[in-house]
Amino acid sequence: MSVNGAFVRQAGAILAKDLKTEWRAREIFTSMFVFTVLVVVVFQFTIGSNPALIREVAAGVLWVALLFATVIGLQRAVQMEGEEDCLQGVLLAVQDRSALFLAKALANMIYLLVVSGCILPLFALWFRVDLTASLPALGVILALGIVGLSVLGTLFSLIVLNIRMREVMLPLLFLPVSVPLLIASVYATGDLIDGKTLADLRDYVILITVFDVVFLVLAVLIFDYVVEE
Amino acid sequence: MAGGEKKRHPLSLWPGWYATLTYVAMVAALWCIFVYAPTEKAQGIVQRIFYFHVSSAMTMFVAFFVVFVASIIYLWKHADWWDQTAMSAAELGVLFCTLVLITGPIWGRPIWGVWWTWDPTLTLTLVLWLIYVAYLMLRADATDPRRARFAAVLGIVGFIDVPLIRWSIEKWRNLHPEPVVVQSGGTTGLPPAMMLTFLVSLAAFLLLFVFLLRQRMAVARRRHELEVLRHKVDEALFG
Amino acid sequence: MKNFWYLFSAYTIIWTALWAYVVYLSQANRALKQDIEALRAQLDNAIAANDASKKGSV
Repeated sequence: MSVNGAFVRQAGAILAKDLKTEWRAREIFTSMFVFTVLVVVVFQFTIGSNPALIREVAAGVLWVALLFATVIGLQRAVQMEGEEDCLQGVLLAVQDRSALFLAKALANMIYLLVVSGCILPLFALWFRVDLTASLPALGVILALGIVGLSVLGTLFSLIVLNIRMREVMLPLLFLPVSVPLLIASVYATGDLIDGKTLADLRDYVILITVFDVVFLVLAVLIFDYVVEE
Repeated sequence: MAGGEKKRHPLSLWPGWYATLTYVAMVAALWCIFVYAPTEKAQGIVQRIFYFHVSSAMTMFVAFFVVFVASIIYLWKHADWWDQTAMSAAELGVLFCTLVLITGPIWGRPIWGVWWTWDPTLTLTLVLWLIYVAYLMLRADATDPRRARFAAVLGIVGFIDVPLIRWSIEKWRNLHPEPVVVQSGGTTGLPPAMMLTFLVSLAAFLLLFVFLLRQRMAVARRRHELEVLRHKVDEALFG
Repeated sequence: MKNFWYLFSAYTIIWTALWAYVVYLSQANRALKQDIEALRAQLDNAIAANDASKKGSV
């Protein structure tokens, strides 16, 4: 693994291709966004009308929605690769396999960021939380959390690519391993909704960052060994 | 070798001796637990669950550590033996993890008054159970020949996740009784007789783990052999 | 002997689970052994038949 010009060019080319396909079809984004809205709405029905309770579970609902959106998006991406069987071709074409991994993870990150950008106004509206003051801090937490979700999710989605039960196996593998990220993100977001600042959330930010860095390094290190023929 | 007497390699006697040793250690542990160890004053006799409960938990961590190391070496060397080690250790880890999850509530019910609390250690064990059950499902289902490599990734990711899960859950909630075996400052909180009983139980469980691991790996090896034979028969008949 | 049943059930469950696992392993082992032997015999027969047909055709 070496970060040089060719590596960046290859990763950029794969990413551009994926984003262009998605821009035309808008399949992955649509399914992720609609699913996120659905989760938020369904949770509204199950919580009831107690405003204090709604406020308390708001952060959890947001992250559960994003977690499931990650799974939905990755499943759709994997399905499309499977239908066209193009991943093998790409694997043969790139010299450095981790370029492929990084491109896929980046694509997922971009989808998730756009989805969370779209869902935040609806979320603030339906959960009656005022996010304007904490928006920059919330952006930091969301971005850090989304990096972790995408890295881990992409690694697992490429693992289950050739497995018969991949639709079931992806969440089964992905959800338990992402528990630390989920806990830290939910409580950091909850504290922000309660009016705390980013400085109060140092522990959570460190935890999420460590999670991101550890799994990013690990994924890049072992991805070559995973896909080599 | 028709009728010829099989030459017995000295090492071939080892499994029998090893099984006997494991059995003796288990019986010794039981004797220590039910006869030798004093009854704890505050918790009464249920405290005796501690010896097998914590031994199972430590054996589980040893098992998952074996999965981790074997997975790394497998990804690196691609030798079947390491994959079989990882898979067998994962299955045993789930077995011991299940025992921890069952005996924990049985101990907790009379002490805490509830079957389950979301305390850090219990929650960590539950999350580990979910991760490694997924590992076994990945092994059982995958039809791709590269499944061993995929499982190895999960074996590595799962174990690296352990401190992170522990850290996050501790931030989340804290109810569990302080670890009593080794307290801060290096002094042990257990009286000597209880400590000895615990160490004997732990030794017995680790011996049992190695014994079961060898048996499980024999099954894995035979399964592999069977697949190779099937392939050969297909070739001989149709190829 | 307060809480005797908790203690009893904990140890019984552990022993039952370990016992069941050992039984499962030995049964899996035995079944595999039989399968392997059957396949070996089949393989030998197939090779013998191949050889015989070759000799016949020469």
